[in-house]
Amino acid sequence: MAITEKQLEELLAQYPSKVQKTRRKHILIKDSTTETPQVIEANTRTVPGVITNRGCAYAGCKGVVVGPLKDMVHITHGPVGCAYYTWGTRRNKAKTDGDPTKNFINYCFTTDMQESDIVFGGEKKLAKVIDDVMEIFQPNAISISATCPVGLIGDDIGAVAKRAEEKYGIQVLSFNCEGYKGVSQSAGHHIANNGLMEHVIGKGELEEAPAKYAINVLGEYNIGGDGWEVERILEEIGYHIVTVMTGDGTYEELKNAHVADLNLVQCHRSINYIAEMLEIKYGTPWMKVNFIGVNSTVETLRNMAAYFGDEALIEKTEEVIARELARVEAKMDQYKKICEGKTAFCFVGGSRGHHYQGLFRELGIETVLAGYEFAHRDDYEGRQVIPDIKLDADTKNIPDLHVEKDPERFRLKLTPELYEELKKKIPLSHYAGMNVEMKDGSIVVDDLNHYETEEFIKILKPDIISSGIKDKYVIQKMGIPSKQLHSYDYSGPYAGFNGALKFAEDITMSFSTPTWNFITPPWKDEPLLVGTVADAEGVA
Amino acid sequence: MGLESTNYRNVNENPCSMCMPMGAILPFKGIEQAMVVLHGSQGCSTYMRRHIAEHFNEPVDVGSSSLNEKGTVYGGEKNLKQALDNIIKVYHPKMIGVLTTCLAETIGEDVRRITADYAAERGIADLPIVSVPTPGYGGNHPEGYFLALRNIVEALAEKTEPHGKVNLIIPNISPADIRELKRILQLMEIESILLPDISDTLDRPYEKPYTKIAKGGTKIADIKAMGGAVATIQMGMTVADESSPGKYLADAYGVPLYHLPIPIGIESTDLFIQTLSEITGKPCPECLTAERGRLLDTMIDSHKYNFQGRSVIFGEPELVYAVAKTCCENGIFPVVIATGSKNDKIKQLLKPLLERSPEKVEVLDEADFNQIRACSRKSGANIAIGHSDGRYLTEQEGIPLVRLGFPIHDRVGGQRLLSVGYTGTAMFLDRLTNTLLENKYQTYRNVMKKKYFRGSHKRIAGER
Repeated sequence: MAITEKQLEELLAQYPSKVQKTRRKHILIKDSTTETPQVIEANTRTVPGVITNRGCAYAGCKGVVVGPLKDMVHITHGPVGCAYYTWGTRRNKAKTDGDPTKNFINYCFTTDMQESDIVFGGEKKLAKVIDDVMEIFQPNAISISATCPVGLIGDDIGAVAKRAEEKYGIQVLSFNCEGYKGVSQSAGHHIANNGLMEHVIGKGELEEAPAKYAINVLGEYNIGGDGWEVERILEEIGYHIVTVMTGDGTYEELKNAHVADLNLVQCHRSINYIAEMLEIKYGTPWMKVNFIGVNSTVETLRNMAAYFGDEALIEKTEEVIARELARVEAKMDQYKKICEGKTAFCFVGGSRGHHYQGLFRELGIETVLAGYEFAHRDDYEGRQVIPDIKLDADTKNIPDLHVEKDPERFRLKLTPELYEELKKKIPLSHYAGMNVEMKDGSIVVDDLNHYETEEFIKILKPDIISSGIKDKYVIQKMGIPSKQLHSYDYSGPYAGFNGALKFAEDITMSFSTPTWNFITPPWKDEPLLVGTVADAEGVA
Repeated sequence: MGLESTNYRNVNENPCSMCMPMGAILPFKGIEQAMVVLHGSQGCSTYMRRHIAEHFNEPVDVGSSSLNEKGTVYGGEKNLKQALDNIIKVYHPKMIGVLTTCLAETIGEDVRRITADYAAERGIADLPIVSVPTPGYGGNHPEGYFLALRNIVEALAEKTEPHGKVNLIIPNISPADIRELKRILQLMEIESILLPDISDTLDRPYEKPYTKIAKGGTKIADIKAMGGAVATIQMGMTVADESSPGKYLADAYGVPLYHLPIPIGIESTDLFIQTLSEITGKPCPECLTAERGRLLDTMIDSHKYNFQGRSVIFGEPELVYAVAKTCCENGIFPVVIATGSKNDKIKQLLKPLLERSPEKVEVLDEADFNQIRACSRKSGANIAIGHSDGRYLTEQEGIPLVRLGFPIHDRVGGQRLLSVGYTGTAMFLDRLTNTLLENKYQTYRNVMKKKYFRGSHKRIAGER
């Protein structure tokens, strides 16, 4: 069921007129027949007072990108809340391999600033906290993430970090990711990317990759073990994973990210900055990958093999694909029988809003509405629009990090001719965005809020909605199953072949739970009393 | 015997509390048709909604003024007013709470002035907008909770003709607990004003059609009338005077104030029923006396198991105090009592209680889980009671956790946990006893084997 312009107008009419105009630009009805490609507004300021699902720069920096590095201690410099709210909430799993005392993933560290720290400054306390951490934990490195008050009171966390580095001889990274920066967590991703690129990547001593087919996996946060399933497949084929950014990743491995032959980009939004900078500095091309769904995984594996162009690798890739398909396809078909013909909304953070549409499609479910919380136009329309994106003040406040060719370590991994040739076949250093894959008539919404969620549900009546925990209960209260795609309702992994099966099982469960049969009580189905109504005189 | 222990470390490792605005959201969620806006970065509201929603399994709509870098320089007045406009247009609330955050307070926003100007500009004198100063560094979530209540009462209560109702100031307890309190009041035929009342709003039944704001909550007219009540019972023994709503009603309107612990445990429930009787002259009905008898029966039946329990109790001061009392009543003597908040009152309250306890007790305030864990290990505790972050005590120290309070994120049903009144206490006690028993059943054979098994004495036939 599609939506009409008129319905959209009525939906927005509930807003004050200025908000109507603003929000209209963030919504489009997909139409591939327009003369010029459709444009959506994204990565602009959130309308105050609409119940947005977006978070802040700190969430993007510490919560998403930096936090999963397991051999570091991550200190949140601020009052207790912000640290608490990022404690284990993203389900970025990390296993302990090697030294069991160097996995801090279950810990939460904060300077717990009090009023007096705001008045007199928190630098001293921060320095003491670092002393405590060094005495007790001896991590491989430390990160400091700033919360709102830190920048406002002028604490120089960079200076504290520098002094600590001199004192202890380990790296202490500082991130000025105060919550008010930028318009969403996207600003925090950028800040984290810059910090890791400038201070960590390339600090390792390796000059050459220790094995053939060396790759980095970027933008994989190992939610519910996604990264482990991806690693299982890639390692079997013969790839050598130098580092994963950053799910189950380590600072120690990250330092050597420069030696890889190829960078895979799973979540484009949160990590494309590093991908681009790695290409400029070390000559390593990046490729957009998608490990969500059987077909996408297969396509990604073939693209990777094509990049390396090695016959043995291609053969092994096909062998693994054939075996995995034989294993999962029949089971997927079983689930498809129950899912076929249903419709979905798919609204997640930065890339999953796109990735899961393919998996839904494999199950016979059509995505009728999709969007991202904090993406930019290129995530919707494709990277070719980047030169046309107007940079507003909020984005400009997060400076781009300028990198140059590393005189010693820059290596062309492909000849320019081969690069151009491959670019025609595989998504090399390119992301085509989400919109292109969506059907005409479907809806794309940027920064969907609670009100719009409810209204779109009323109009489109989807069978399932994949979103986050904040809107999960709105959706379920409206009688529609919700599949939480931020932390998977404590399920997963959903990536790769095993993940697709797990997802199919979970989705099917939502459709087939008997609970839905009991919504109407039996006495509402049919009248309890059967009889005729007496007239005024009491004669029937 | 209580021992106070100080945390000498600077680092807060695994916090035992959340920030002030988080606590302040909850009371507004228990007022009829109320909405809340956080004035600050939008991350605050997103994080807090996430944590509240995961505990209650309910929609939690909280607005944000979405301040950004420009707002930090030029002030956030425009953003806040726009947020209020949009909330009013889309949600049609009958009341709005405006909470500040680290950002708003650090840049010195005068929210009271902004909201007053706003009300005047828009001509909405009949829509109460209550602002609460809640910077994250100003205290923890329990302090935010009561400060919000105090501000709500200060803003709304009016001089009212005496009306014979009893005010009940409700701390952060579960919707099921509040429903139980209402049932007790109904059985005693006592008219009351409960503030706040999340019993329906944060545990709403599945029903169609979905409404943006849940039904239920304390009526605004009732809050206005609190000044005319015959008395206030405040379940807030640990609350500072300046954030005590009951104290304000006493000072401003002469409403007599009774400070009572949360009625968990037989003594605290007795005190609750007795106080209600004294205030209203209504007797304890027979059915409640029977419930008391059943609780006593439970306590007697379980006392041998309970006496083997040594407890770690942590969380919000008010709940911690009530649970400590309950544990002492039943011989599950506390060995560690901890709260993440800075709170002197709880230490004073615990003193007479713990003087009668045979166990040494570490009493910690401003505690983090590192400290709680270290003390728990040292003291040989075998049961922990508190919110779900205590799960690490189980994972790392093998101490089983009975989940109680807020937040409970790793189990469902936090909103349905019933622990108050005679019946609720019996249910809570069963949860404690069964946890001790489960542990006992799991380890009994091993313990016995270690103690008594002296090797095999089997003889092989023919051997001498």
